[in-house]
Amino acid sequence: MKPNGYFGKLLEVNLSTGEINKKQIPEDDLKNFIGGRGLGMKILWDKLSGPGVDPLSPENPICYMPGPFSGFPIPSASRTCIVTKSPRTSPVNSEYKHASTMSYSNIGGFWGPELRFAGYDGLVVTGKADKPVYIKIEDDKVEIKDALKYWGMGTDQFDVDFYDELKDHKFETCYIGPAGENLVPMSSIIHTAARAAGRGGTGCVMGSKNLKAIAVKGTKQPNVAQHKEYLKLLENIRQTFMEEDEDVKSWRYGGTANALTSSSKNGTQAVKNYSEGAFKEIQEIGTEANRKKVWKRDFACFACQLSCKKSGIAKGSYAVMVHDGPEYETGTMLGANLAISDLAGLHKLIVVADDYGIDIISLGNTLGFLMEAHERGLIDKEYLDGINLTWGNVEAALEMIHKICKKEGIGDKACRGVKYMAEQIGNQSSNFAIHVKGHELAAWNVPVDNEWWSVCYATSNRGACHLNGGTPKAQDEMVLNDSLGACSFAAQWYKDEVSYANFLSAITGIKWNEEELRKAGTRIFTLEKMFNYREGFEKEDDHIPEKFFRNEFSYGEHKGAIVERTDFKQYMNEYYKKRNWDIETSRPTNEVLKDLNLEFTIS
Amino acid sequence: MEENKKRYSRRHFLQDMIFGGAGIIVLGSFGVSIITDEKKQVIKAIAVDFDKCTGCRTCETACAASNHKVKINGEWVDGLGNPFYSNINVHHFNPDVDIPSTCALCPDAPCIDACPVAPDLRTGRKALYRDEELLTIKNDKERCIGCTQCAQACENLRGGVIRPNDKTKKPERICTLCNGNPQCVKYCPYGALDYIEMPNDRDLTNLAPKEIAQRLIKKYYNIDITEAEL
Repeated sequence: MKPNGYFGKLLEVNLSTGEINKKQIPEDDLKNFIGGRGLGMKILWDKLSGPGVDPLSPENPICYMPGPFSGFPIPSASRTCIVTKSPRTSPVNSEYKHASTMSYSNIGGFWGPELRFAGYDGLVVTGKADKPVYIKIEDDKVEIKDALKYWGMGTDQFDVDFYDELKDHKFETCYIGPAGENLVPMSSIIHTAARAAGRGGTGCVMGSKNLKAIAVKGTKQPNVAQHKEYLKLLENIRQTFMEEDEDVKSWRYGGTANALTSSSKNGTQAVKNYSEGAFKEIQEIGTEANRKKVWKRDFACFACQLSCKKSGIAKGSYAVMVHDGPEYETGTMLGANLAISDLAGLHKLIVVADDYGIDIISLGNTLGFLMEAHERGLIDKEYLDGINLTWGNVEAALEMIHKICKKEGIGDKACRGVKYMAEQIGNQSSNFAIHVKGHELAAWNVPVDNEWWSVCYATSNRGACHLNGGTPKAQDEMVLNDSLGACSFAAQWYKDEVSYANFLSAITGIKWNEEELRKAGTRIFTLEKMFNYREGFEKEDDHIPEKFFRNEFSYGEHKGAIVERTDFKQYMNEYYKKRNWDIETSRPTNEVLKDLNLEFTIS
Repeated sequence: MEENKKRYSRRHFLQDMIFGGAGIIVLGSFGVSIITDEKKQVIKAIAVDFDKCTGCRTCETACAASNHKVKINGEWVDGLGNPFYSNINVHHFNPDVDIPSTCALCPDAPCIDACPVAPDLRTGRKALYRDEELLTIKNDKERCIGCTQCAQACENLRGGVIRPNDKTKKPERICTLCNGNPQCVKYCPYGALDYIEMPNDRDLTNLAPKEIAQRLIKKYYNIDITEAEL
């Protein structure tokens, strides 16, 4: 039985045994967890035998999850959420050696829609191949194939060379680079040489399975319950975008890079390892500079009207072909956060990091931490293998990236991120290690708008996440975007008649309203929380880095900005109350769990 | 075929006007003179402005939806737009360029030339023929023998847009112009597609996506790349 809007089919590949199964997804799971991040979380819960599983063991499943919108030309619904157990996070206390949170990271482009064209609502990979392999999916035909010759190849070259073997550009591919192969914990999964499921170490889990790549191509599409209603909604939402309001133009012009300058102005940018909220040289690396000097082309994901991906050629201190960037995150983390304003140098760092397949947010954060530790004299050049890692030093940052991705010398430690480095360096360096639960913060600084950002980072289920949202409502909505396959950048246009709820109703034939959809978001977020709680993450893990209580911005419009401890405590208590979670432990109450049909998490 | 390659190499290019269906690159500005078919009728087809294309594939979904209608409660309406069935196809390349490719309604139509089915005595049509109304290329499924000569001609000499059906081997993916209101043009969010009278140039010919990609990569990124490297 094929439910409307879905195939009801999960592709399961076990790389240890070579078994390939096409499994029916329970209809209740589709209804309760929708798809993408939500359905991925439910599968993760079901597949793992219990808490404490080593995320790099064969048992840990990695789920590649499009959503119910994927594969339909609904504008900006191209995203695939990758869900697994995190190799990045750890709690303050736990009885389990390998305790870690769940992890998710999503990727735009064309891969998720193509997996649906092949006839699946998700792909789950378990086990570990005894040599490097890739998975090739062509509708019903699924093969595990040798990838030995590609092991060690950078993502850019692989993106090109892989097609020599596939012999058809209609395959969509996602893959890891050398960082993932080397089991660098902060590795990403790359698609089209630049789009990345960057966060949470999904590339490392893929590498631990000896899985280099997944290629997929298909000819199918799910059924839609209310065909005419769906067509009407599609026509309306297309017209909404076609009107080309200022926001549409702005996305097309600069993508997220527009925020480089605006965030700096607002004091919300990560600058010099989060010491400041504004970067004086931000104009050097902002949208205007890139439009003038670097960008040549705009690119969109499947059926997207915003085209926020930019490519071009950077020239100057380095000459590089740019597949994408800087975006706000990559430009801030490898630019402002390291006090780097050399535009070509910044591009070089981004391109090299993407080629290795590493999370640029965690990478930039780690480099910033080391620069600060170096500046403070807690470590010297010798500790850094002779690299003169100082603010603004592109060459030194580049050398360090090579070391991290190859796990050479200092890189073998640094690749584990700031929490680990602070433990190694000691001397209270943890005071400026900018992470939550072991996962580094992203490019949005905390002290200005600190209620939003404190809650956002402290409570995100994959460890610090800028896309988590600063209120329960915002969080539940973000969960829904990630579960539907929709892009949060376009969510603002889906309102009133052309709401996500109406699209989902037309597609599935199940009548969804805003309230029910919100509840599904709450359900998914709460299941993630229960997963983490089961691993041992409690209230003390919902913290923000010490630096935000100790460091005042020293210049700019927001000079003196800092977070008050009492305020933070109050934000968190209010947050737990709104969620109806236990204020002492942070555990969702049984009442909440029952109301959300999550009884199965009560042990 | 050898002769064709020579013709390509003789071509000179105007910098910015790159057209295409499957990639006609045009010299000179719009509409100086216009392409006509054998009977001097003006050919209108889908032109691509590669500067504007972002590779979003909305055109594919609009094409597939319009050309593969479904019957709902007795009424024929657009399908769901599975891009696999689209007549226009967007090809991605690295370095980043996207090439929407569709039938260019070539005035000399090598696909029709290649069709071995004898012309009908009354209409003069082979199995593959040019329709009088919109000058699109059509296939008479009744008379088509599924020899795939047309697809091979398009593949070898032009953009390679014609694909034989997996089972019947009869040609598919030929642009219908959606009865004069091409849906790919209507729904392209970036205004990268246009339905226009094709400007005339003796060398004006449909190119393969890889060949267009090569030229655009040179243009945008100043990178020389061979077809084999794409």
